[in-house]
Amino acid sequence: MSFDFALIATSLPKILQGLGLTLNLLVVSTLLGLLLAVGILLMRLSQHAWLVWPAKAYIYFFRGTPLLVQLFIIYYGLPQFGLLRHSFLWPLLREPYWCSVIALALNTAAYVSEILRGGVLGVDKGLIEAGKALGLTKFQRASRITTPLAVRLALPAYSNEIVSMLKSTALASTVTLMEMTGVARTIVADTFAPYEIFIAATIIYLVLVWFIQTAFTLIEGYANRHVRKG
Amino acid sequence: MTGIVDLEQVNKFYGDYHALRNVDLSVAKGEKVVVCGPSGSGKSTMIRCINRLEEHDSGRIVVDGKELTDDESKIESVRREVGMVFQAFNLFPHMTVLQNLTLAPRLVHKKPRGEAEEAAMKYLTRVRIHDQANKYPSQLSGGQQQRVAIARALCMNPEVMLFDEPTSALDPEMISEVLDVMTDLAREGMTMICVTHEMGFARSVADRIVFMDNGEIIETSTPADFFAAPKTERARTFLGQILAH
Amino acid sequence: MSLLDGWWDDFFFGLLTVLQVFAVALAIAVALGLLGASAKLSNSRLLRALAQVYTVVFRGAPELLVLLLFYFGMALTLTWFVQLFDPSVKFIDLPPFWAGSIAIGLIVGAYMTETFRGAFLGVDRGHIEAARALSLNPYQVFWYVRVPQMWRLALPNFGNHMLSIMKDTALISIIGLEEILFVAKMANSVVHRPFLLYVTVAMIYLAMTTVITLVVGQLEVRANRHLRGTR
Ligand SMILES: Nc1ncnc2c1ncn2[C@@H]1O[C@H](COP(=O)(O)OP(=O)(O)O)[C@@H](O)[C@H]1O
Ligand SMILES: [Mg+2]
Repeated sequence: MSFDFALIATSLPKILQGLGLTLNLLVVSTLLGLLLAVGILLMRLSQHAWLVWPAKAYIYFFRGTPLLVQLFIIYYGLPQFGLLRHSFLWPLLREPYWCSVIALALNTAAYVSEILRGGVLGVDKGLIEAGKALGLTKFQRASRITTPLAVRLALPAYSNEIVSMLKSTALASTVTLMEMTGVARTIVADTFAPYEIFIAATIIYLVLVWFIQTAFTLIEGYANRHVRKG
Repeated sequence: MTGIVDLEQVNKFYGDYHALRNVDLSVAKGEKVVVCGPSGSGKSTMIRCINRLEEHDSGRIVVDGKELTDDESKIESVRREVGMVFQAFNLFPHMTVLQNLTLAPRLVHKKPRGEAEEAAMKYLTRVRIHDQANKYPSQLSGGQQQRVAIARALCMNPEVMLFDEPTSALDPEMISEVLDVMTDLAREGMTMICVTHEMGFARSVADRIVFMDNGEIIETSTPADFFAAPKTERARTFLGQILAH
Repeated sequence: MSLLDGWWDDFFFGLLTVLQVFAVALAIAVALGLLGASAKLSNSRLLRALAQVYTVVFRGAPELLVLLLFYFGMALTLTWFVQLFDPSVKFIDLPPFWAGSIAIGLIVGAYMTETFRGAFLGVDRGHIEAARALSLNPYQVFWYVRVPQMWRLALPNFGNHMLSIMKDTALISIIGLEEILFVAKMANSVVHRPFLLYVTVAMIYLAMTTVITLVVGQLEVRANRHLRGTR
């Protein structure tokens, strides 16, 4: 058995052809997921059981089942319904790209809403009381005290979630998308050099993870500049 | 110097920082020494060297005839004779009061459980807390926790007790219940080295007061002399600050 | 549910396979986590560096990629190895069960490494000092004071890692292991009810993850009972 270092080098540019789609999936589904997460968070934090319970059920389902199964339900399962095939959603659900985005976004929304909730619950009660004592309205307290502090508290966990999303985009290759893992799989099918090709792909993913983590370190440093010691 | 605890020309560095400077201290059996001085003066560092929670860099520390070196078995035998009470109690949170007290006797002295528990109850009675034996530390008040910590140390039948600011983490109304237990212990003849700023306790219990500043022992006197006429300017300033509160 | 009649036994055996992969991967992950944490906490720079590479790679690479690398790579290596002794052999397959269990174990082991390391460092230094002051030897300090508290600190993350293992088992259908997602694919080619089938798979997983969550919750209650303070 020989290990071909040159093959790693030559396959890198080929795999990088999938980089655009990987990043596209990551960015689009992360943003959609964040929007959805905020909505779920508000439901989860509300005083009304009829808002809280659907949010809880949503989180329970999406955190308790594998993303791959969720993707299959959306991509293979939903077209089973004739109704959907004739609806305005069909142009989306027919596309593996949109199915992947939807699955990723729905999935991450469940995790992110819990991450944000952790941040909200972590805010020191004394600070909120101080806000009340100063006569701030409920909305002012939420926007000036709770939200900024909760976001700071949630940042480290959120950066882990983005890394986890990056890794999850690889599942899109199971529904025929040619993002990086998909490209790597086709090259392996041609060359049958799994070590070299998959290691090359891993290297690219690790570089991306490094970028994400570095970016968040900078963001956290900026967000917490008020606690930095002189 | 032939005390039960002897420090000779002890020096200790944290990196470049000189935390103990040529410390000499000899404590006789049965003697009660109170150590005081401003925060950061090296009091904790000194008493933590006596049971080698910190390693000194030069000089000699001899406890009951055993010099502290890298020799692990000697360190353990010194620790068997030296009990310690911390400012933060440091009770094991996952064990009940009784389990906290019997752990070391059972593991180190290989006492059977029944015997260890019997002894533990005796000490709990002495610190007036025998009715809390099956509670977890978090269910006790600070003063109660600290008394448990004292009982835990006593369960090993130590020759010497070290106290590092045992009352500084306590609410004012709980300080006296701990000091009372310490005073009892002193009356019974225990050798004690206490870092504390409780000057009332020092006055009534101490044989000697050691004043430290900047890593050095700069004054040693009887309580009467120390309070009436401190020899150094720094001790005078310090006393002025402490007594003003 | 009569549509699925005739497939329930396949789902049942698929579930057994899932549970077996779960058990093997969990054992591997715990072993690697303990080794990795010890290495990260050791005084040897080499061991620390190795453990660091391990955690960076296996926490950064997509699970699917690691799985494929193991499945195809190990097959290649095994074939090469066997051909050394018997050149007539054409190709040796690594059973997907083992490729999958090892790959998942390696991935989650990297997370366990961080969890165990954090729990080790999370134990209050004061408690360790108190135990040493009571002249407990290092071994006793470790087993009687550090480990029980590490367990409490590690449990929440440990529970999450168990959930990850359970959910990652679904990936192994991609390399052909006949677990429940694979069974659903096969069944679909006959009954053509993909939604029903994949939702069934989801519900089975949901049941498994619920059990894990409940068990870990109970363990946490036990581990934290000393914290129900009255202060
Ligand atoms: N582990 C350590 N590392 C570095 N410096 C330390 C450490 N422990 C104590 N020091 C320093 O040594 C000096 C003496 O500390 P300590 O003995 O705790 O003082 P005291 O108990 O008198 O308040 C302080 O300036 C402190 O900052
Ligand atoms: Mg101190």
